[in-house]
Amino acid sequence: MTSIAVSPAIRRWRIALVVIGLALLALGGVVLLNDVDPKRYLGIAAWFLGALIIHDGIISFGVFGVNIAMRKAGKRVPLPVLLILQGAAVVGALMALIVVPEIMKKSIGTGNATLLPLDYAGNLGWFYVVLAAVTAVVIAVYLAVARGRARVRARAHHASGAGSTPAA
Amino acid sequence: MILDTVQNLLNGLRRSLAQPSRTPRMAVVIGRLLAIAFLLCFGTGIYSHFLQDPLPWMTFTTRPVFLYQLTQGIHITAGILCFPLLFAKLYIVFPELFQTPSVKSFPHLLERASIALFVASSIVQIVIGLLNTYQWYALFPFPFRQTHYALSFVIIGSLAIHIAVKLDVIAKHWRKKDSLAEPVEAAQHEGMAASTRPAGDGPLGRNNPLTSSPVKNAVDRVEGVTGRVFAWIDKTPPAEPRTSRRGFLTVVGVASAAVVALTAGQSFRLFDGSNLFGPRKQGIGPNALPVNRTAKAAKVGAKAMAADWALTVTNGATSKSYSRSELQAMPQYVVELPIACVEGWSQTATWKGVRVGDLVDSVGASGGISVRATSLEENSSYAVMKMGPEYVRDNLTLVALELNGEPLDLDHGFPARMIAPGRPGVLQTKWLSTLEVLS
Repeated sequence: MTSIAVSPAIRRWRIALVVIGLALLALGGVVLLNDVDPKRYLGIAAWFLGALIIHDGIISFGVFGVNIAMRKAGKRVPLPVLLILQGAAVVGALMALIVVPEIMKKSIGTGNATLLPLDYAGNLGWFYVVLAAVTAVVIAVYLAVARGRARVRARAHHASGAGSTPAA
Repeated sequence: MILDTVQNLLNGLRRSLAQPSRTPRMAVVIGRLLAIAFLLCFGTGIYSHFLQDPLPWMTFTTRPVFLYQLTQGIHITAGILCFPLLFAKLYIVFPELFQTPSVKSFPHLLERASIALFVASSIVQIVIGLLNTYQWYALFPFPFRQTHYALSFVIIGSLAIHIAVKLDVIAKHWRKKDSLAEPVEAAQHEGMAASTRPAGDGPLGRNNPLTSSPVKNAVDRVEGVTGRVFAWIDKTPPAEPRTSRRGFLTVVGVASAAVVALTAGQSFRLFDGSNLFGPRKQGIGPNALPVNRTAKAAKVGAKAMAADWALTVTNGATSKSYSRSELQAMPQYVVELPIACVEGWSQTATWKGVRVGDLVDSVGASGGISVRATSLEENSSYAVMKMGPEYVRDNLTLVALELNGEPLDLDHGFPARMIAPGRPGVLQTKWLSTLEVLS
């Protein structure tokens, strides 16, 4: 917890929030004790541990690697282009996170034709095609605008340079 | 020696991970949105829970008829929205994972433990929520509904504690104008080994803060493998902070818009045209309506199709049985009501049948009474359903015999099912067997 001095109002809010938070945590514990068979606690704990391992131990270091790759690539590729590419990759990865389990469950079988009725793998493929096309267009537009601005700046610089030539 | 190396490594990781988008202000901006999404999920989830398991004194509004469709649609859509927002928030605060020393004091240990609990429970909650919409129960070594309910309190509780811990930072960075050019935090160079020193004539020294710019954070490390690795990492062109921040927010916005637009069609007709990834599609199913639990899964096929099926309505000692044709001979009403599943999908449909009020009146019931409906289904927690007087006496509450202009399909509850305004699908009991008036 921060050691920086805080106002009395913040201290009061802080105490109130901690009390509310602890009460809700206790309530969650009571609900768990009442509603869930203790034999299942190990399964819940395994999911918690798995979430931390997957996030802190795998995804985080993957992101770290991507960060470094991006920084090194920044020597050759303009930063906005990198950001656009990174953004597209993030959107694509997020969508995969949501849709790939759907595809897997559909392939296993649902026992109900109205559950997961769409062609999710095909739709995800089309989504990536559109995402790639939109990304390419956005990069092209950015580069065209950047080149235009550079030309305008060069002309302005040239004009100001000419105007400032001292009279003979 | 080992401690120095580890601290050096952690410091290096934190410095290399610093980005213009990883600022307290950005954490507050994304954190606010995430807190709103969590609270929306919590509020709508609690509403859904008490609709299914009401406390004795509870009564519910039956208008607007789409209320549950709306609240549960928001629950699921906000839950899906939590994916980009939660990962964005975790991305922003990622360097904190490597803070050194890892534990400074007992309160600091509690703070980190509460954050670990918050992160783990949040990830588990949204993932099991998503998998539940795919009915992928085999992955859960625990009961979904009860665990999801208990975790909701854990998440909101740990959110409250997290806000309390960070309240001064949140207050400081709540408004944009107050938070520009803020360093990520005060320097923590106490643990830095002597082998590191500020890069060139850069601004870093023992008393300089860790900033949001990787370049400003760069330090020369003249010794060791880690020193050379971080020196290699640090040789990069500077990022333009405003572009980076805007880019980050744009990505979060686009990702959020994409996951909502491409899935929300399962709950909201407005998005039906862009529903590429929703686990349900409006209009697909028997009677042009999706099914949650089939007659086969409920093992009711033979009993539901039996020629001698009858709906028995009782009020104390008074009892009447109605065959399907006798029900059809009673005054019929047509209502437009949504069927809204707890899993989030919903669709408005046209239902035709007998008013529940007329049926209970036929056995001498009067005034505000409750009803217990029993399904032909066995071994299901939803085989018996209680309905309060606000629904029993609502003219839109029917024992439905037809759906979308056709006889009820077996999977939709043939020969008769319940349909009432503003209730979860699991309480719209299918394959009705008895209606019992409760005193």
